[in-house]
Order: sequence, then C-alpha cells, then structure tokens
Amino acid sequence: MATFVVLAVVMVVGALGVVLLKQPVHAALSLVGTLLTLAVTYVTLEAHFLAAVQVIVYAGAIMVLFLFVLMLLNVQDTGPRRSLPGLRWAAYAAAVVTATAIAAVAFWDGRPAPDPAVVSLHLQGGSAGGIGDALFGELLLAFHLVGVLLLTGVVGAVALVQRRAESAHGAPKGTGLPAGRDAADGKARALASGGRR
Amino acid sequence: MAESLLTVFLKALLLAVALLGAFAYMTLIERRILGRMQHRIGPNRTGPFGLLQPIADALKSIFKQDILPARADKFVFVLAPAISITFALAAFGAIPGGPAGSLFGFDPWVVDLDIGLLYVLAATSMGVYGIFLGGWAANSKYALLGSLRSAAQIISYELGLGLSVLTIIMIAGTLNLREIVEIGVWSVSPWLWPGLAVAFVTFVISGIAEVNRTPFDLPEAEQEIVAGYLTEYSSIKWALFQMAEYVNMFTAAAFMSTLFLGGYKGPGFMNALIPGSADWPIVWLVAKMAIFMFLFIWLRATLPRLRYDQLMRFGWIYLFEVALGAALLTGAVIAFVL
Repeated sequence: MATFVVLAVVMVVGALGVVLLKQPVHAALSLVGTLLTLAVTYVTLEAHFLAAVQVIVYAGAIMVLFLFVLMLLNVQDTGPRRSLPGLRWAAYAAAVVTATAIAAVAFWDGRPAPDPAVVSLHLQGGSAGGIGDALFGELLLAFHLVGVLLLTGVVGAVALVQRRAESAHGAPKGTGLPAGRDAADGKARALASGGRR
Repeated sequence: MAESLLTVFLKALLLAVALLGAFAYMTLIERRILGRMQHRIGPNRTGPFGLLQPIADALKSIFKQDILPARADKFVFVLAPAISITFALAAFGAIPGGPAGSLFGFDPWVVDLDIGLLYVLAATSMGVYGIFLGGWAANSKYALLGSLRSAAQIISYELGLGLSVLTIIMIAGTLNLREIVEIGVWSVSPWLWPGLAVAFVTFVISGIAEVNRTPFDLPEAEQEIVAGYLTEYSSIKWALFQMAEYVNMFTAAAFMSTLFLGGYKGPGFMNALIPGSADWPIVWLVAKMAIFMFLFIWLRATLPRLRYDQLMRFGWIYLFEVALGAALLTGAVIAFVL
C-alpha cells in the first residue's frame, strides 16, 4: 500500500506537469515519467507483461514520435491565446468533478472485489500467455473492434491532412495560406534577389 | 532459487562495474584493431601495449572543463547523459550468464524475469531518450539534427528488431531468456532453419542500427553534423554518453548471442576435451559477445555510412519486409509442418 501511495503521488504530479508546464518538451517528458511510473505500478501488481508493453509501446515509441514532432516543428509557448472567458476555470472544475466521480465509483462500489486467488489464476504471473488467450479467445470481437477503431482514426487523420494539402495547393497565390507563410515566402524572395545582386 | 535483496544488489553492482571496466578496455581494443585494419599501429605508447591508455583517457575526461551552453535547457541537458547510462546498464541485468546456481552457488544473472526478452527491448528503447533529449537541450542546430535522426532511426529499426525476435518467440514459446537458451532454438527442427537464419541476419542488422554503429551512425555523423547530439557535450557528460554507447553494444552482442547462438552454453565438443567445460558460466557468453564486438569494429573499419534516405528506405522497405517474411515462414512451418 505504501508503495502504491508513493507511485500514485508521483503519477499525479507527473500528470499535473503535463498540463501545467509551459515548455511543450517538458510537458511531454512529464508524460513519459507518468507512463513509466504507471509501468512500475503494473510491476507491483505482478502484471509484468503489461508493464513491459507499456514501456515499449507508450514510453518507447509513441512518446518518441510526440517529441520528434515537437522538436521538428520547434513548438514554443506563444503566450496567452484568445479563448472563451472563464474557459480555464471551467476546465479545472470539470477535471476535479470527473476525478472525484471516478474516485467515488472506485472506492464506494458496493460489489465485492474478486478473490485474489481467482485474479492471480487469470493473470498467470502476468505472463504473455494469459493475456494472449484472453485477447484472442474470449475478447476476440472487442479486440477486432478496437483494431477497426484505430484504423478509422488513422484514415480520418490522413483525410483531414489530405484535404488541407489539396486546398493549399489549388488555391491562388497569396490566399488561403497562413500569414506567417506569406511573410516567410517574401523573406525568402528578398534573400534570393539580394543574393543575385 | 530466491536470492536475498542484498545478493541481487551486490550482483547488480558487480555487473555495472564489470561493464564499465569492459567499456574502458573496449575503447583501447577498438582503436588497436581499427589501427591494424587501416595499416596504422594504434595507441601503444601508454604502458605495455597501450594498456594504460584507458586510464589516461578517463583521467583526462574527468579533469576537462565541463561546459554548459548558456542557452541550453540546463535541467534536460544534465538529465540526458544520466538517462542514457542508466537504461544502458539496466538492460544488461536480465541476460543470463550461465545455468542456475553455477556461479559459485549463485545464479549468474541479476534478475530472472518471465518477460526477460521484452524487458531488454523496453530498457534499450528507453535509452533513446538520452540521445534525443541531449541533442534538443543543447539548443544547437547540429545537435538537434543528430537528435531527430536518432529518433527516426531507432523507431524505424525497432520494427525489424521486433519482427526478428518474433521468430524466436514463436519457436521457443517463452519470453524468458534463460528458457530460450535451454530450449536451443536451432535444435527444435531443421525445417525452422531457413526462417531462423534470415531472422538472425535481420536481427544483427537492426541491432547495429539500434546502437548507432557504422554504417548506421548518422546521429553523430562527424563529417556532416560535427558530432550530432554530442556536439555541445564535454568532459564527464560526454564520457557518460560514450559509456552508454559501448554498454549498449555489449547488451546488443549479449542479446544476439543469447537469442540466436545458444547464449551461455558452450559447444558440445568442449565437454569431450575438458569434461564439464561447456557448462562454465560467463565464459561462453563473453566469447560469443567478443565475436559480435569484433564484427561491429570490423564493419566500422570497412563500410561507408548510409545516406539518410538510404537508411530509411532500407529499414522500411527491405529489412522490415524480410523480417516479416521470416516470421511468417516460421509461423507457417510451426502451423503446418511440425
């Protein structure tokens, strides 16, 4: 229990860091820390396979891609943006209400927890075999549905980017492009003509 | 056999010291072999055969001025080398050095995990953060380019690595490295040899790419981007990155030996020469690792570096498909032939 409290505190602090840190790379790093702590929590629950997959997939691959994009685009905090008045406080309130609701459901659930013996029998020492049997047996339909859902997400993302690229390409020069890009074009032209002189 | 926490801690400490000592002398061995391959002599002035050279290098690294770039992100800049070396050392812990209880009554490994194979992959995949963040935090263009290259490269070649490992997992039916060695993947059936042979080649290639060695050393390509992510590092932080690189090489070599070459088991005919010698702990693993370490050095002296587009095309179009083919072939053999 003491281990769990320490891990939970680290995780909550990490999660708050993701939201509150100004520098996007720091926020992403904070998320990496949170995911790693979650993996350690899985280890304390004897779910070794889940912990390893958590580290390999989330911390090792997805977050590296996140950071890759952040560094490639050199995203910086550009100061306060225009938004609805009070949106920030509404978001805080919504987060607190949701967290309280989840905690209430988790701690005041009337149903008895499953017997530890049954749980450990199903986990089989947290090995890959047990999870594989469950995923490709009992939960096969759900597993396939999640696959379809992810595919939908990928197709949707490609479709969104595709349309924007086409419209930017087909638009007449000087319109439809963000102002910054026009300015950059102008600067590049000025540089090029300066070079010719 | 459950061992006390103190024993595990002492073994981990011993392993870390051994790896760092091996790192120091590996730099000397590498420079000597490279010298020979390029018709030079190599460092041989400091002590007999240059044996004191690593000590001189270590002292120099420690006493050099430690420069912190003024515009760097200081916290991340200092954190990055620590991440690199921590995960590099942690990854080796799960690799078994011999049968249970063979090392003077102790188990020759730090931890025996049921998911040892995934643990090594996870720990090495976390190591990329060191390189990646180090280059970003330096706030220098060359360093950032090195970081971006390193991230793209490691993500791309992890696919080849994972699919090659899949062949082993299907044959052995376990993720425990000790059990994989005990099963002996080559002895299961001759029908599996083609798949295994292809997977071995793709695994070694992706392994070399994962540890950023020539011809895949684009993150620190010194002719193009100075030293990549290392550009702004100096003194002991630079040395920590070097340590991490060499320890990662050791881990890669040990991982390749454990999965494909029978790990800690010696060749059977050695028992005929010296009875029981095939079961000696550590010795055979180190011998097999030495073969791979020599291969890494040999490649560095021989091959030119890949261009970035070649690297990406090779990883995504050839290596990935070939490794996938080997995994599918092995799966088909297991399903229909055996």
